Amino acid sequence: MRIELVGIAKRFGEHQALRETTLALPDVHAMAVIGPSGGGKTTLLRLIAGLEIPDQGELFIDGERLESGQAALLRHRRSIGTVFQSFNLFPHLSALENIVLPLEKVHGYGRQAACDHAMALLERFQLAPHAGKRPAELSGGQQQRVAIVRAIAIKPRFLLFDEPTSALDPEMTAEVLDVIGELRAEGRDLIMVTHHMGFARSVADHCLFVGDGEILEEGPARDFFAAPRSGQLRSFLAKILKY
Amino acid sequence: MTGIFSLLTQRRGEAGPLAAMARLISWLLVFLAVGGVFTFAFSQLQYGWNWGAIADYRQKLFIGWMTTVAISCVSLCTSLIIGLAAALARRCPFLPVRYTGTLYVELIRGTPLLVQILIFFYVVADAFGIDNRYPVGVLTLSLFAGAYISEIIRAGIESVGESQLESARSIGLTRGQIYRFVIFPQVARQLIPPLAGQFASIIKDSSLLSIIAVSEFTLNAQEVNAYTYSTLESYIPLAVGYLLLTLPISLAGRVLERKYRYAH
Amino acid sequence: MKRLMTRIGVIGLFVCCLTAAIAAAGQEPLRVGMELAYPPFEMTDKSGSPSGISVDLARDLGKALGRPVKIENMAFDGLIPALKTGKIDLIISSMTATGERARSIDFSDPYLQTGLCLLLKKDSPAATIRDLDRLGRTVAVKKGTTGHLYAAKNLKHARLLVLDKEAAAVLEVVQGKADAFIYDQMSVYQNWQRNRATTRAILAPFQKESWAIGIRKGNEPLRRQINDFIRSYRLSGGFDRLGNRYMKEMKQEFKRLGYPFFL
Repeated sequence: MRIELVGIAKRFGEHQALRETTLALPDVHAMAVIGPSGGGKTTLLRLIAGLEIPDQGELFIDGERLESGQAALLRHRRSIGTVFQSFNLFPHLSALENIVLPLEKVHGYGRQAACDHAMALLERFQLAPHAGKRPAELSGGQQQRVAIVRAIAIKPRFLLFDEPTSALDPEMTAEVLDVIGELRAEGRDLIMVTHHMGFARSVADHCLFVGDGEILEEGPARDFFAAPRSGQLRSFLAKILKY
Repeated sequence: MTGIFSLLTQRRGEAGPLAAMARLISWLLVFLAVGGVFTFAFSQLQYGWNWGAIADYRQKLFIGWMTTVAISCVSLCTSLIIGLAAALARRCPFLPVRYTGTLYVELIRGTPLLVQILIFFYVVADAFGIDNRYPVGVLTLSLFAGAYISEIIRAGIESVGESQLESARSIGLTRGQIYRFVIFPQVARQLIPPLAGQFASIIKDSSLLSIIAVSEFTLNAQEVNAYTYSTLESYIPLAVGYLLLTLPISLAGRVLERKYRYAH
Repeated sequence: MKRLMTRIGVIGLFVCCLTAAIAAAGQEPLRVGMELAYPPFEMTDKSGSPSGISVDLARDLGKALGRPVKIENMAFDGLIPALKTGKIDLIISSMTATGERARSIDFSDPYLQTGLCLLLKKDSPAATIRDLDRLGRTVAVKKGTTGHLYAAKNLKHARLLVLDKEAAAVLEVVQGKADAFIYDQMSVYQNWQRNRATTRAILAPFQKESWAIGIRKGNEPLRRQINDFIRSYRLSGGFDRLGNRYMKEMKQEFKRLGYPFFL
């Protein structure tokens, strides 16, 4: 996927989340976005996800401009899969029903076809025994994995992850990161906001460092971690990788 | 003595035959005490009890009771529709609609039902030339309950976390689909206990319709009192008749509340 | 010295209390119940205190019996229960003495003659009470009054509207929701005067009634006292005075229309 930002800016009330930014990224398959909290990385992801409209500027994905009309945004959101930090699933539906809902109601699958497709994916990720359970009956890791299944079930163009493991304990973090690694291995495109530098280094082919509303550094993953150019990235990495 | 006291003390949800026994005994004690107070109070009255007089009017009382049931049922259904419409209106992005909803709720909740009944029937309905007091009465009662129901529904809708709405948007559900598949299935279950309470309120509030001569239970009992001069003998069945309606509802409400409780 | 003063003080206090108690026993207030919603008999003046013919009558009665009078305002259909349970001692509220009511309470001799009349909506063709007893007709009454009891017993076909307040019943007629309101002669006249554009009145009573003072059963001495009072009050022109004070115009109007004045 090719992402291009032209003069994008976004503010929330008093706070300038993203300053006017212009950036043309090469065709990447896995992009990691890192940076301090409140720096703007989540805002950037949400703009790409079509959940926010920029105050100014334009966003191009694979050469196509992302329109700001409601209908266009809806179409865009339907074509990609998003996984948030938590509360992805609807508490009143079982894991299976959570996955079937968008398939049936948004993408026009018949009920049986939707169920079959969903079950197949759940089996693939060893979640089949939990298909009938409500989110409250699942562990955090299982919930996130079901959310990922929901995201990939609709055959999205690419996937977006907003700190998918930040709310999980280390054991569950591993199981979720494993799944993401698997997806990457089978060739899916994804953008991930994360704090896990090790994972970012191994999975991503391109990285962004977002801080203070600006994209302070970007580049291929290898150089990004091995030889950070900016002082801010260097000190950020030093802090993160200390322990 | 302390033994009995500790026997009848219980934390919530204790099980076992001894605990059930304690609950039964405690209820009996309370009923005996309250019954004793009432019996004493009545025995102090120099009142010639005359139950035979109202026995003649039992059909009138029964018809009044059935009228109250009918009015309450129709009002409940209508007020649900009105309450839902008002709750959605107050969340509508189109401002005039939103403000209409807010005005409706604030006006109705801020004025007494008695005043609303009088104004709706003698002023508004009269201006439109509508004479039939039964539909007007039911509509007034529905508008009244609808305002409170709309707040219950609105609170329910807003209790669905913002994050769920985010998640719904991100998978590409339209606004209507979000209401239909995400918000209402969750809210509907949550609504049942407060709605049960509202139904009981409607049943009791319907007695106020007597002031525009709607021939419901309370007015019929008052008429029987006028014909027989047997005040207590008319009004005690009145109280019992309302309890027969409201107690099962509050019990059902509590059963349903326990059934639909689940963690988010 | 101090102990003596204390003793005198205590005895003095005791004597005062005793005197007060003795005085009070003879001066036990007479609680008179009435519904202050029936001008000019039972109403309130601008400051909200009870006034009217029945109020003055009650006060004059109190003076004659040597007891202070306390007026208790309550709904008309609550008067008999209040008397029966001892909340009030007398009912002076333009109450008609009926056989039915006499089973629950005692009545004094009548002090006023009147009758049930009709306040009709302007375009009603009815000429008598019997004309109203037809399917499709609606008759309004005030709850607990003799009009209510008459209608419940005698009107088999008309629909009965039982209202709480006289004002509501009149409004029903004025707005055309009811064909007629059954009430006493005076009030029908007054309401007709106030609503000449929308109502008409049949002032010939179809059921004669007389008003009396209500007394709790079993108090024969009090009843005798009240009857004596009524007799002497009438002889001394007390009722004439009340009529002139409150109903001068109505008195003249009724004279003109040829109806006997009732007080």
